[in-house]
Amino acid sequence: METILRREEMAEIMLLPIRHHSPACSLQIKKMIESWKPSSILVEGPENANSLREIMVHEETRAPFAIYYSYHDREGKLSKEKAYYKCYYPFLEYSPELTALREAKKRGMEAAFIDLPYGDILAASREGKGLLKDEEKNSYNDDYLLSRNTYIKRLCEKTGLRNFDEFWEKYFEINGLYEEGDVWFSHLFTYCSLARENTPPESMEEDGCLKREAHMAAKIIQCAMAHGAKGRAEERWEEDLMAWMDPYRILVITGGFHTPGIRERLADGRWEETKRLLDNPSARIPKEDQSVYLMPYSMEAADALNGYASGMPFAGFYQKVWEGIGEMDAPYEKAVLDMLVSAGKEVRKKEGYLSTYDEICAWQMAKGLGELRSKPQPGAYELLDAVLSSYIKGEYNIASAMPMLVLKKQMTGRGMGSLCPLADVPPILHDFEMRCKAFGLKVRSTSEMETVLSIFSSRKHRNESMFFHQMVFLGTPFARRVKGPNLQQGKDKNLIRETWKYKWSAEVPAALIDVSVHGATIEEAAASLVGERLKGETGAGRAAVLLTQVFEMGLSGQLEAVYERVQELIVQDTDFYSMAEAVKALTMMEELSGLYGSALEISRLLLESVRKLIGLLPSMAGIKEENLPSCMDAVKMLYQITGKGSDMEQEKEAYFGALDEMCRDEGIHAGLHGCIWGILYGSGRETAIEVEKACLGYLTGTRGQLLQTAVFFRGLFYTAKDLIFIGGKILEMLDDFFGKVEENEFMELLPQLRMAFTYFTPGETDKIAKMAAGLHGKGREDILYRKEILPEWYAYGRELDAYARGHMHKA
Amino acid sequence: MQESIKPPVEVKYKEELDALKSNDTGRCPENWRLSPKAVRAFILGSTQPIEYNGKEVRVEKKYYGNDALVERCIVTLAGNRGLMLVGEPGTAKTMLSELLSAAISGVSTNTIQGTAGTTEDMIKYSWNYALLLAKGPSREALVPAPLYIGMEKGILTRFEEITRTPAEIQDSLISVMSDKILNVPELGEQGFLFARPGFNVIGTANTRDKGVNEMSSALKRRFNFETVMPVREVAVEKQIILNEVNKLAKESNVHMKADEDVAELLASTYHELREGVSSYGHRIDKPAAVMSTAEAVSVYYQTMLTGYYYGEKRMSVDCLVQNLVGAVSKENKEDLGKVREYFNTVVKDKSGKEGGLWKQYYDARKWLK
Repeated sequence: METILRREEMAEIMLLPIRHHSPACSLQIKKMIESWKPSSILVEGPENANSLREIMVHEETRAPFAIYYSYHDREGKLSKEKAYYKCYYPFLEYSPELTALREAKKRGMEAAFIDLPYGDILAASREGKGLLKDEEKNSYNDDYLLSRNTYIKRLCEKTGLRNFDEFWEKYFEINGLYEEGDVWFSHLFTYCSLARENTPPESMEEDGCLKREAHMAAKIIQCAMAHGAKGRAEERWEEDLMAWMDPYRILVITGGFHTPGIRERLADGRWEETKRLLDNPSARIPKEDQSVYLMPYSMEAADALNGYASGMPFAGFYQKVWEGIGEMDAPYEKAVLDMLVSAGKEVRKKEGYLSTYDEICAWQMAKGLGELRSKPQPGAYELLDAVLSSYIKGEYNIASAMPMLVLKKQMTGRGMGSLCPLADVPPILHDFEMRCKAFGLKVRSTSEMETVLSIFSSRKHRNESMFFHQMVFLGTPFARRVKGPNLQQGKDKNLIRETWKYKWSAEVPAALIDVSVHGATIEEAAASLVGERLKGETGAGRAAVLLTQVFEMGLSGQLEAVYERVQELIVQDTDFYSMAEAVKALTMMEELSGLYGSALEISRLLLESVRKLIGLLPSMAGIKEENLPSCMDAVKMLYQITGKGSDMEQEKEAYFGALDEMCRDEGIHAGLHGCIWGILYGSGRETAIEVEKACLGYLTGTRGQLLQTAVFFRGLFYTAKDLIFIGGKILEMLDDFFGKVEENEFMELLPQLRMAFTYFTPGETDKIAKMAAGLHGKGREDILYRKEILPEWYAYGRELDAYARGHMHKA
Repeated sequence: MQESIKPPVEVKYKEELDALKSNDTGRCPENWRLSPKAVRAFILGSTQPIEYNGKEVRVEKKYYGNDALVERCIVTLAGNRGLMLVGEPGTAKTMLSELLSAAISGVSTNTIQGTAGTTEDMIKYSWNYALLLAKGPSREALVPAPLYIGMEKGILTRFEEITRTPAEIQDSLISVMSDKILNVPELGEQGFLFARPGFNVIGTANTRDKGVNEMSSALKRRFNFETVMPVREVAVEKQIILNEVNKLAKESNVHMKADEDVAELLASTYHELREGVSSYGHRIDKPAAVMSTAEAVSVYYQTMLTGYYYGEKRMSVDCLVQNLVGAVSKENKEDLGKVREYFNTVVKDKSGKEGGLWKQYYDARKWLK
């Protein structure tokens, strides 16, 4: 806490440092406003959001919400790309800035945001730094400045605390409940000053901190001058002299890292220099290219955003603490206990093993750890430790981590905010409502609705489908297609209707506000996003998929640009799988273009990509195991495309030439080899006897080759499964193969064998089993009964499943 | 000259323990020699030296890696449940269990060594058959085993490698852990041993032994589990190697100091092979062998001994690589290939970019045969 008294302006300025989303800061600010009684409150935040303050403090507005800032660099002031920029400034119920604004409203004080407008913060930041960081989402919250310095690392080591958040909770959050405001703020100010001293000045420059601080300081001076002695002389002329002598009080609330910087700029020596900035305003970015809206936000989103910016985690936990402050003596204890019980209940529901005694032990653990760590009350970290130690039985790994996941989810919280009806919305939301009305969609209902669209026979339905596709492309959780031709995956091309399910929720406007920077209508935003995506596309496959999406969305204005880009990329791209993806998407488009009534010349693109793919084919002989399925898909797809009667028949010879070349390659993958032999048999170019010979080559080969037989069969059955029923020779070979491998080798090969037999229908598998039993003089019934499977195997399988799921989840 | 190769923790750190006790102002759970805070200071070190017997005693940090885990262990032991430390081999589970026992009960030797041959007698009690025949069943003829001693004296009982012990033997702990009472039927009405406060059990189990003798869920419920993870930071691993090697050298009168750069090299190698990714971002095939810090210490110490007795009292990188070969070629022959690959990619790149010791290390790859 720093106070500065300016005699000339007769204004007393108090600078309060805060950490965003800190309940203790909120509490202390509330107390400080009560006792110090400021005349106006200035809050850190881009000043172009000043128009939103009324809505933010409106009694019907519920946190969490976020200020959404966007800027379209039409004039190329930031970079040649003329890009779109956006960032979020989330507020939770206990955010200190929100508390200050609410208090100001309650007491009839003036309040204002004083930071540079968003566009100018961007202009003040270096490429890739500050709000120009290359993150999926940028947060205005810059608390990372408090936690990423060499000083805090050392401090945590010294105090035996694992990270800055634990340090903060112990010394500032929990202590904030007990300490007097001036002591608490002065501790915080000391910490912030040390954090600043240990941050290299160049990084502050790069992040745009220094320019922002200069602007904020100038705004404070402006306020002091406007309301100081000179500014108030006339209106106070008649009043009591003593009252006239009372200084005007300005409370300034900024992120703790900036407080020492602002203080320095307001010091006597630099006051005049800072004041001069007012004559020469630093805002340079056109206002009309910047937008600012309030959007409902969720605790989960705030938590994820904090992850990027090192803001305070565990929004749900601190919300509970905040609710308890003032109501009880030990709000942390209560929050920890509540969460132990609620997490325990959920774990019990999911796994069933957790007892009340486990909860008692966890509670004892949390309290014991609090005492051991000299914390007046156990906090978030004791809660995490208690669950880790008392709810997890056995080794802590992905399979046993469920209680921790449950707890973390609860600590993150599920709350979602809402805005009062007065809140202004961007034009894209109006467009959304208008289009919903035009299509007769029921968006006032919270239950999911279904609609079936005859996209090829009704123009209205096709328009509605385009609207749904655009909404999906914009990433809004509004509609999902449950049935219909899928151009991206090449599925269901025989369907002539689309079935959509749609549902309105608070997330829909939030998601639309999120993309509002890209345009005023849904179509405009989608078109602009297509353009953005196209810039970053380097693979023909992804670009072709984008073409299908543009096609579905009916963005005719974009079709040509995307078409040309796909054409370019087909020439440039040398990645086999990407080309295969392109061929797949284009084939589907070509087949359906008549129905969609498209005038695009897809066949030319398709021909070029097929030729390219065939050209790349021979280099794929020695693929890695994990690429086998996609490679086999591509080989089979090319066979179908160049098949009899198709427009691509002229490519057939080139295709078989490529297959020939692959077979001659000594390093050919056995699975692919099998797949090619299947095709050669299917096309009548080779006889069953030749195929059997090829199998025999593996079977009678050296040990390493023998073991490849399983994967060879996998490839063979993928393209020519009927071979197994012809003559029975293949089955005999398989039987022979099983006789030759050791048990452990068999276990190793089992996954490949299983894959090989997945291409058969259950009826066919039965038939094969019967034939196989016949080879050993047994009947169908003799092989139906098997030994029981031990429970341990199941347990192991479950563990393995959980492990794999965990890994896939992480990936 | 010391009397044993490895003196128990309470003997080795007697001065630290006494100093902590004399300055301990915290509340002690009944029968604990030190308060939980002093136990924490003993294991994790204290920033300030302690005045004791007119001199300043510095309490050094003995366990690295996860302070919160140590704190959870202490709180668990003050409560009603036992403590089970599980983890990969070589993650200092046993050391932590010894440190906890020495600090809390003043003795770390009240231990059951779990093996496939462990019987209930070795856990609870057996008989001195001569006395049993002469005097009949009496307390005098009873030979208490660690669990009995722990309960009788109110001290911790350590159970090492519990999952090596057959499941039915492990289960003999269940009722003792929950009821805190041991019945010796042979002694009739005097046969009830009620555990004194301060008694608890610290078990250790190796996750590589999983499935050997899985613990029953009834027994699991009597314990709080702590999973001891390998050290995540190279700097900490390097510090552990230095500390442990210097300690071993001192105990064996080897007058040679551990070299920081070599320790860092070894710590990086172990860390990268264990995690499967190098500091430059190369993806590495992980060997099946245990790449624990304890193994790294042993590789370093062997190299140091060779240098001390057969060399010129300095660390030879060639010898280090030879010892590394010995350490990784335990589980299967493919591991050595993986280490060779590691040298051909990661060490090669590092030798090019960082030079110095990494270059020598890369040159020593000829020993990877």
